[in-house]
Amino acid sequence: MKHVVIGAHLEKRDIEPLAEAIPVADLWLSGMPIEDAQPLGDRELLLRVAQIRAALLDQGTFIAIRYGFTAHGESDAAVKCAPHIERWRRVLHDCRGMVEMTLKVAAAAPRPRPDRHDFDSGAAYIRALHDATRAAEVEPEFRRAVDATLAPLAVKHRWSNRDTASLEFAALVARESVAAVNDAGAALKRDFASVPFLLSGPWPLEVFADDHE
Amino acid sequence: MSDQTEELGILETLDHLLDRGVVIAGEAVVSIGDVDLLYLGLNIVLANVDAIIRTSQPKQIK
Repeated sequence: MKHVVIGAHLEKRDIEPLAEAIPVADLWLSGMPIEDAQPLGDRELLLRVAQIRAALLDQGTFIAIRYGFTAHGESDAAVKCAPHIERWRRVLHDCRGMVEMTLKVAAAAPRPRPDRHDFDSGAAYIRALHDATRAAEVEPEFRRAVDATLAPLAVKHRWSNRDTASLEFAALVARESVAAVNDAGAALKRDFASVPFLLSGPWPLEVFADDHE
Repeated sequence: MSDQTEELGILETLDHLLDRGVVIAGEAVVSIGDVDLLYLGLNIVLANVDAIIRTSQPKQIK
């Protein structure tokens, strides 16, 4: 038996009864038990974890652990998570009551994605991909509007280039501000009907979970 | 909810599950569809190439 680890939490009560609570130092991991032989690359398992993750966020803010990490019992989890505990504790205390919202927007003039087969070396391919990704830009007027309407609602915010065709605005917001963020998103949808974007959330601490390093 | 909206919701949810959050050393490798997965050192990095590039960019925090 092993656990698919979903998140790191401050309080045990934020986890139960939705998932199993695994102690690591003075913090807790939420985990879903599965058989050792169960493959992780399974759509149904992914969707079950996603559902639990969403329900856990309703109970309290937590740090999302990227899917794929498993632990065999408390001692295994403690060893693997030991280097992160201090930072997690800081993040969880500082961000208690906050969630993330993300806005994904299509690049204004995306460059074609480099084709792996056009390159002799992996390094050259990665460099070309990196250049194409960094070249992606949002329509300036839309970006200004996001910065003027969504950013002021956030405790922290960040733009990042996701790939050659899209960028993302991530915002760390108080739970009480989620409705205002959604309202601002609806206004953007009206004002920029031709710009393809997706505002989603609330999400657990994902983008900003590493900021305290 | 329309099928299209529901599918968009699932895609967005799975994108967050597979592409965000902290990465911890582990022992599992997951292959889903034909997405490029990378394995770096002792850390399992469950991400596609775009995610690796993104995380290699300097952070801009306001």
